[in-house]
Amino acid sequence: VLARLLKSAELDTRMLGMVGALLAIWIAFHLLSGGLFLTPRNLWNLSVQSSSVAIMATGMVLVIVTRNIDLSIGSMLGFIGMVMGVIQTDLLPKLLGFEHPGTWLLTLAAGLVLGVVLGALQGYVIAYLGIPAFIVTLGGLLVWRGAAWWVTSGQTVAPLDDRFTLLGGGPEGSIGAAWSWAVGAIACAAVVVSLVHSRAQRKKFDFPLRPMAAEVFLGGAACVVILAAVAVANAYPWPIGSVRRYAEANHIALPDGGLFIAHGIAIPVLIAVGTGVVMTFLARRTRFGRYVYAIGGNPEAAELAGVNTRWVIVKVFMLMGLLAAIAGAVSIARLDAATNSEGTLAELLVIAAAVIGGTSLAGGTGTVAGAMLGAVLMQSLQSGMVLLGVDTPLQNIVVGVVLVGAVGLDTIYRRRMGSVS
Amino acid sequence: MTKFAVALLAGAALLLSFAALAQAKGKVIGVSWSNFQEERWKTDEAAIKAVVASDGDRYISADAQSSAQKQLTDIESLIAQGANALIVLAQDSSAIGPAVQKAVDEGIPVIGYDRLIENPNAFYITFDNKEVGRMQARAVFAVKPVGNYVFIKGSSADPNADFLFAGQMDVLKDAIASGTIKNAGEAYTDGWLPANAQRNMEQILTKTGNKVDAVVAANDGTAGGAIAALAAQGLAGAVPVSGQDGDHAALNRIALGTQTVSVWKDARALGNKAAEIATLLADGKKMNDVPGVVKFSGGPKKIEMNSLFLTPIPITKDNLGVVIDAGWIKKDEVCQGVKPGTVKVCG
Repeated sequence: VLARLLKSAELDTRMLGMVGALLAIWIAFHLLSGGLFLTPRNLWNLSVQSSSVAIMATGMVLVIVTRNIDLSIGSMLGFIGMVMGVIQTDLLPKLLGFEHPGTWLLTLAAGLVLGVVLGALQGYVIAYLGIPAFIVTLGGLLVWRGAAWWVTSGQTVAPLDDRFTLLGGGPEGSIGAAWSWAVGAIACAAVVVSLVHSRAQRKKFDFPLRPMAAEVFLGGAACVVILAAVAVANAYPWPIGSVRRYAEANHIALPDGGLFIAHGIAIPVLIAVGTGVVMTFLARRTRFGRYVYAIGGNPEAAELAGVNTRWVIVKVFMLMGLLAAIAGAVSIARLDAATNSEGTLAELLVIAAAVIGGTSLAGGTGTVAGAMLGAVLMQSLQSGMVLLGVDTPLQNIVVGVVLVGAVGLDTIYRRRMGSVS
Repeated sequence: MTKFAVALLAGAALLLSFAALAQAKGKVIGVSWSNFQEERWKTDEAAIKAVVASDGDRYISADAQSSAQKQLTDIESLIAQGANALIVLAQDSSAIGPAVQKAVDEGIPVIGYDRLIENPNAFYITFDNKEVGRMQARAVFAVKPVGNYVFIKGSSADPNADFLFAGQMDVLKDAIASGTIKNAGEAYTDGWLPANAQRNMEQILTKTGNKVDAVVAANDGTAGGAIAALAAQGLAGAVPVSGQDGDHAALNRIALGTQTVSVWKDARALGNKAAEIATLLADGKKMNDVPGVVKFSGGPKKIEMNSLFLTPIPITKDNLGVVIDAGWIKKDEVCQGVKPGTVKVCG
C-alpha cells in the first residue's frame, strides 16, 4: 500500500533514498554517542553549521548543470568576508559612528554587490572569451585568496558589528519560539496552497491527477516535518549564561529553576532555507531555470533553439557570486571575525554536497533540494565524528569514502533504472 | 693586581671590538625567505635590515614564494652574490639540506631562522615552542586550577602543534594525574582554520553538556573559534582561553576579557638577534662562542647543534602595555569597545 501511495505521489525515489541514508547516519551516531546526536541542541547546531555550505550548494547545482564548475567560491567567500569585515569595523564606523544601526545593512549590501560583480567577471571570461570554467575559477581560487590577504595584510578583523553577528546565529541570532511557530505555519500553508494550485493547473490542462489520498498524504507529511523541525528548534533553551545576562538587562528576577527561553530557528538557517526556496523556484518555474537545464542537456540544441546561452551562463555565475557573498556574511558573522583563511576548501565541500545530492558532473541533472540535503549529510558526518572523539585525519578519510561511495551507488542505481525502462 | 688585570682585559676587549667593527664593514648578509605571503616575515625583514645597515653591512635577500625548489636556487644565487653569512627561513626543513651543505662547504656560516635545519654546522635560532605551550597552560591553570580542560590543538600536519601540546602537558600532567584536572576533550584543528576550531568546540560543548572550565587553544585563530562557540553558550569570559601570536583581534579580546592570554613572540627581537649573530659569524666568530648559545639535539634526527632560544612573553590583561609600548599595536585598537575602568592600560 505504502509503495503504491509513494508511486502515486510522484515522489523522487532517489531523494527518498537520501533522506533514508541521512536518517540511518543520524540514528547510528545517536546510538554510538550514547544519545547525544538526536538532541535539540545538536540538531540545532547541525543546522547552523550546515547553512553556509548549503547556501552555496544551491548555486553550485546550477553551475554544474550547465556543465561548468566553480572552484573559486571558497576564496571568493574569504575575500568578500574580509571586505565586509573592514567595511563594518573600519570604514562605516568612521563615517557613521561605532555600532550604528545601519552598519550591518550597508555592509551586507556592499558584500552582495561585490559578489555579483566578481561572479559576473568570471562568467564573462568563461562565456564570452571561451576559457574553460575549470581554468578561470582555478585562477579565481588563487586570485581571490590572495586578495583576501591583501585587504588587511593578513590580519584578522574582529569583533564585528553586533547587529551583523546576528546573521550567524547564537541565542540572540535566533527568532524565538513565537516567530518560529509563525514561520512554520506560513510554510505549511504555502505547501497546501501550492498543492491546491498545482492540482487546479493540472485539471485545467488535462494532465493526469494524483489521487486525492496522495495529495493529502503529501501535504500532511510536509506539514508534519516542518512543524517537527520548528518544535525541535524551540525545544533548545538559551544557555544559563545568556539567560542571566538577558534577565539583568531587562531587570527580571531570575527564578530558581532558571528561565526557559527557546532559541527557535536560527537566522542563518532561515536564510539558507529561504535561499533554497528561491533557488528551487528559479530553477523550476522560470524561463531562466528552463534555459539552464536546456543548456546542460544539450548546449548546441539550446543555442540553435534561440537561447542566449552565453548570457545565461554569465547569470549563473553572477548568482553563484551572490550566494558566495551571502555564505560569507553568515560565516564571518558566526565566527564574529573575518579571517583571510575563511572558506578554505569550502569549494570542495560545496561541490561534494551537490554531487552527493544527485547532481551529475556530466551536466543537465541536479536538484537544489538534493544539494542542500547533501550539505546536511556531510556536516552530519563531520559533526557526529567530533562527538565520538574521532580526530580529523580519520574524519577526512570517512568523508572521502562516503563521497565516492554515494556517487558510486547513485551510478549503479541510475544504470538499473535505465535498463528497466 | 686584579684591578690591573681587569683594566687590561677591558682594554683588550675594547680593541677587539674596534677591530670587529672595522672588519664588519662591507660584509654581505644574505637572507633566504620562504614566503612573504604571510604578514609577519615583513616585520622580521625590517628588523634584520635595520641591524645590518647600522653595522655598515649590505643586505641581500630572495623570496622562495613557498617553493622548496626555488629556495635551493635562491641560496645558490645568494652565495654567488658573495654572501658572507646566510640566514635561512626554510620552506621545507629536510629539502633544504643540499643547499645548506653547499654553503657550509664554501665556509659560509648558515643560520636556521625560526624553522629547524638539521645540519651540525648550522646555527638554529627560534622561539621556544614548547615554552609557548607551557606558558599557555600556566596562564590558564592560574585562573582555573581545577576542572574540565579542553585542548584545541593546531593542525595535525604541523609538528609545532605537537611541540605546543607537549609543553602544555608538561605543566598540566601532575594535575591530570592527581585528578584535579580532567581532559574533557581534545581535537586537532585542520589547517589551523578558526571555523574548524569553532565546530570542534561546539561539538565538545554539546558532548559535555557545557561542563567545560578551561580551554587551552594553540593559537589566536583557534582561540577565536573556540570563543565564538563559548559565546553562543553564554560562556565567553567565564571560561579562560589561551592563544599565541599577539593577533590584534586577540589582544582586543584580552582587553575585553574573553581571552586570557596570548603568548607573544616579538618577531623584531628574533630578527635583531639573528642579524647580530650573522654579523658575528661573518666576522669569523665561532658558533659556540656566540653569547647565549646552547646545545640543542631535540630535532627528529637528534643532531647536536649550536642554537639560541628566545623566550616569548605571555600577554595578559595586566601587561597589555608591553605590546603597545613596543609599537606592535595601537592603544585604541587594543581598547576598542572596552568598558572604562576594567583594564588598566585602557583607562
